[in-house]
Amino acid sequence: MRMLKKVFWFFVAIVVIATHSGVSYAEMPSAPNDGCMKCHGQPDIAAVARNKSSYIDPVKYSGTTHSIIGCTACHDRVSPGHPRDGYLPPKAVCGDCHGPVNEEYSKSVHGAKARCNDCHNPHEVRLPIFMSGDEINGKCAKCHDSRKTIQSHSKWLPQAELHIDSLLCISCHTSSKEYVISLSIESRTPGSGTAFKMATFAELAVLSNGANISKIIDQNGDNQISLAELRAFNHHLRSRNMRLWGMMTPEVVTHNYQIMVNRWDCSFCHASGSKAMQKSFIVLPGKNGDYTRIPVEKGAILDILYGTPDFYMMGSTRSTALNIIGALIVAAGLSFPVCHGFFRFLTRKNRKEDHHEA
Amino acid sequence: MRHNEMVYVTPLPVRIWHWLNAFGIVTLCVTGLQIRFPDYVNVFGAYKAAIRLHNTAGTVVSISYTLWIGYYLVVARSLIKLYVPTLEDLKTGIFRQAYFYFLTYFLGKPNPHHSTPDSKFNPMQKAAYLVIMLILLPLVIVSGILLMYVAPLRELFLLLGGIKMLVGSHFLLACCFTAFLFVHIYLATLGHTPLAHFKPMWNGWEEEVIEDDTGDGAGDAHSDPKPERKDMV
Ligand code: HEC
Ligand code: HEC
Ligand code: HEC
Ligand code: HEC
Ligand code: HEC
Ligand code: HEC
Ligand code: HEM
Repeated sequence: MRMLKKVFWFFVAIVVIATHSGVSYAEMPSAPNDGCMKCHGQPDIAAVARNKSSYIDPVKYSGTTHSIIGCTACHDRVSPGHPRDGYLPPKAVCGDCHGPVNEEYSKSVHGAKARCNDCHNPHEVRLPIFMSGDEINGKCAKCHDSRKTIQSHSKWLPQAELHIDSLLCISCHTSSKEYVISLSIESRTPGSGTAFKMATFAELAVLSNGANISKIIDQNGDNQISLAELRAFNHHLRSRNMRLWGMMTPEVVTHNYQIMVNRWDCSFCHASGSKAMQKSFIVLPGKNGDYTRIPVEKGAILDILYGTPDFYMMGSTRSTALNIIGALIVAAGLSFPVCHGFFRFLTRKNRKEDHHEA
Repeated sequence: MRHNEMVYVTPLPVRIWHWLNAFGIVTLCVTGLQIRFPDYVNVFGAYKAAIRLHNTAGTVVSISYTLWIGYYLVVARSLIKLYVPTLEDLKTGIFRQAYFYFLTYFLGKPNPHHSTPDSKFNPMQKAAYLVIMLILLPLVIVSGILLMYVAPLRELFLLLGGIKMLVGSHFLLACCFTAFLFVHIYLATLGHTPLAHFKPMWNGWEEEVIEDDTGDGAGDAHSDPKPERKDMV
């Protein structure tokens, strides 16, 4: 009897597992990840798996382009007995699908220093425009200690800390291009005096009272931030221990890692002129740990004061209004010698007799 | 009837300060121009060179300012006497001086003010130097020093309304200095000879033209312990 019971349960288990995996494999074209995520999307899988990173965050994964191609595009030939048979499924090589990037990267000075996976988690990939600057630099910080980087760069780079805080490493170490200014919202606990950190979705949701969080800045909901909205938002932030932190980020990323010689010359950025500073975005955290951006009215970065009170890039973000005021001041000073000198010249005879000393 | 008298008006430390300061500020203006308009102005080659020079000149000017104010406050103790306009200066002196610069000067009348070691500046000079030396220069120095340490001083920047506020003020103050320079150098040529005011800034001795019959304003010069030196250049 007991024996029969055992056999019965054994069959049930086989059937469950068989249909389970059968279903998941059959479903693959439409929902390519569901079957696998039943196990790999559970945090407790880490307890049984040999590889502690076998857990895949379903929220982050579902936002990636890789989730569209599905698990088996990269892990083909998952054995039918998976996972009990002990065979670990194969893993694709990035270069199979990203040939050009792979080639470019392998040829670069960094090609032998880190693999694709050291900088990318294949289950959490995102395009650079859906990431915050902090996050992108965080990839490098895994191996390049930020403090040491600041130290080594300060040997030749004035205000190295400021530069490293507001630039991406890849802006100087790859030929990534099409720079824009990304303004992200940072916060800190009031009165703590600690460093500002990226504001989380939850924090901003409180500010927006449950409405779409973009409403806290894009008040009229036209998916475009006007200068007036930006100013109002900045004002709003000041009283809340928050700030908008601007970074110069490339929209097009390349992998040709190197020491870019022309980045020695500050004028690559600082003489790029105010035309280069026209495009900017507000970077908002999404629910899934990703980021979205909302375009800001053209030229807001160049606003005299309140557009971006904390972002200023010498040489490139000067305000035209201020230049005009400055020029008027200088012109006023210059006009005195010119006018006075003119009359002085006309009336020089009146003072002739004073010049008895040579 | 009149004769010339030599009066020792500008002590050596003040002269050294002045030319260090003048050289420093001119350097700051030119490098500053390149730093703000790098796409148009390139005097010092690399941008970094302009920044390094600007920072160095700023440090020199800051130190020399500290020495200047220390000298006048502690050693000579004449800052208030020389630089703060008296009530009399404000009520009539400034207008008399302006009247001279804008009218009677052209008619060939003499300067109503006579330099003495105790009253070396005319009321307009006093007012202008006071604003420049005790308000604008300290402000430009402080804003400049802050801007040299943006990342470490970020908290302070937030309190002051953001980096743009500071950069904007620094720029407008610099424009004021440039404007001042034009006026200052020009006014310095208005002595009885164009170089008359430059000489005392070089060797300390001011040549005064004294109307013997009126004697007005020359009283202090007679009580000056230094001997008269007629032909000193
Ligand atoms: C029944 C639960 C379950 C399902 C369904 C499942 N897996 Fe697994 N998988 C596991 C477990 C448990 C491990 C850990 C095995 C070990 O460490 O021995 C694992 C390991 C892996 C590994 C190897 C990780 C390493 O350490 O190299 C890959 C790759 C993998 N699974 C992919 C998949 C894919 C793709 C699917 C869907 C086709 C899938 N798995 C479905 C439970 C599951
Ligand atoms: C774009 C290709 C790609 C897709 C799609 C993909 N993976 Fe992976 N996966 C990889 C690569 C590459 C690795 C090896 C990572 C490494 O070595 O660091 C990996 C590693 C793993 C691991 C081992 C843990 C680790 O980080 O080493 C597991 C488990 C896994 N994948 C499961 C899945 C599951 C489940 C899915 C679908 C939900 C999936 N993968 C989708 C490429 C992919
Ligand atoms: C089976 C093919 C395949 C493999 C293998 C693969 N990818 Fe992708 N990957 C894609 C596709 C398709 C896209 C979307 C289109 C594009 O950007 O080329 C993509 C996009 C990306 C993106 C941009 C994110 C986005 O949302 O578009 C990154 C980053 C990325 N992959 C990294 C990797 C890395 C790192 C590996 C190796 C671990 C890898 N990929 C392996 C197919 C693949
Ligand atoms: C030294 C770190 C590093 C390495 C190594 C690296 N990448 Fe990237 N990669 C980045 C960064 C930073 C970005 C920009 C942020 C992002 O999208 O993740 C990026 C972006 C990408 C993108 C999206 C580019 C776009 O905008 O279309 C792809 C695809 C990609 N990487 C593939 C690869 C592949 C394939 C490899 C291995 C050959 C690789 N990466 C190695 C740092 C790296
Ligand atoms: C997996 C670790 C790792 C990651 C992640 C990483 N690097 Fe590196 N990188 C190294 C190693 C190791 C070296 C060689 C030792 C050194 O110079 O510090 C190196 C060297 C460099 C060099 C100097 C190359 C030379 O020729 O001197 C640059 C520049 C560099 N990395 C930039 C980056 C950037 C930018 C990122 C982020 C996108 C990054 N690295 C991410 C490991 C890493
Ligand atoms: C303003 C441009 C710029 C930025 C931003 C920048 N670098 Fe560099 N980096 C350079 C230049 C130029 C050199 C070459 C300096 C030299 O050879 O003395 C260099 C050298 C390096 C080196 C090799 C020499 C060393 O100092 O160890 C590494 C590693 C490096 N950078 C990593 C990084 C990382 C990581 C970041 C981001 C945190 C970063 N860099 C940001 C311009 C930059
Ligand atoms: C912005 C920089 C400058 C400042 C702040 C400045 C300030 C002053 C001050 C405070 C005095 C009175 C000095 C005293 O205490 O006795 C003075 C005098 C003088 N300065 Fe300057 N100066 C500057 C630049 C220059 C420059 C560039 C020149 C000429 C090239 C110049 C020429 C003179 C002359 C000739 C005098 C004596 C004339 C007078 O008493 O007005 N100065 N300056």
